[in-house]
Amino acid sequence: MLAASAAALPALLATAGCRSSDAFAGPDPLAGRPALSPDVITLQEVIKAERAMIALYQAAMNGEPASQVRVLEGLLAQHRQHLAQLQARLVLPSASPTPSASASRSAAPRRTTIAQLRTAEGASATDLVQRLVSVPPALAQLFASIAASDATHVAALAGYGQG
Amino acid sequence: MGSGPVSAVQALQAALAAENAAVFGYGVAGAHLSGTRKTAAEQDWTGHNEARDTLTAMISALGAAPVAAQAFYRLPSQVHDAASAMALAAYLEDGVTRAYLGLVAVSDQRLRTFGALAMQGSAERAAFWRGSTQAFPGLEAS
Repeated sequence: MLAASAAALPALLATAGCRSSDAFAGPDPLAGRPALSPDVITLQEVIKAERAMIALYQAAMNGEPASQVRVLEGLLAQHRQHLAQLQARLVLPSASPTPSASASRSAAPRRTTIAQLRTAEGASATDLVQRLVSVPPALAQLFASIAASDATHVAALAGYGQG
Repeated sequence: MGSGPVSAVQALQAALAAENAAVFGYGVAGAHLSGTRKTAAEQDWTGHNEARDTLTAMISALGAAPVAAQAFYRLPSQVHDAASAMALAAYLEDGVTRAYLGLVAVSDQRLRTFGALAMQGSAERAAFWRGSTQAFPGLEAS
């Protein structure tokens, strides 16, 4: 009987006295999803942090004069580019839970000061440098580049409102 | 030094070569700047000299011969005023940033951290000279 359905396969294997893992040389297709690797978990955490940074910028722009909002929008656009690149590196099974954008947005404060943005940018740069030592080279380079961008944002925000 | 993983010495040599080029280039750029910009260029020139010495010592400690600076470097464009001098400074810093990004790909964790922190400094200097920030320093074409 060659046309056994996938649902019937475990029963057939049990009848034959073997486990599904005995029948395949590779990963057991019936054992559920494998655990996420540390690299994937790190990437998920960095993506979550990048979303939180975007939410901070959105909160900071509320009530700012249009001329100043333009400065913040430029930096925010670069954070959106960071997020897009990070997300492009993350390939998960479709059933895997991913942090929702709405959830991270709701966690943002209603009003963010420029000083808080500067602190967040500096902390992000530091965090990324700490994380990049344990991920594959290509991802480490992306983290390093984003950290460098964040570092330049700290300096840009230091001059905010002086232009 | 084949086509396998990035060699620490190779990456350090590339960073040293970029620092050597920056030392030369800032000498050209500084001659066309004045006031606070000239002061900034002089500080950056001093910083690149110090970085060159640090990298030279690191390469020697690994048993390799540090690459020597060239007598002359071909500049990307003619430098004749403050604007072109600032553009050159940004170009030099972009090159340094790219070189340090190479260090981030090596397996040695301390070198990765060293490269990542060094490229933050060069990215900040590039943003100063360019007058704007970049989303992906070291990964973007200058």
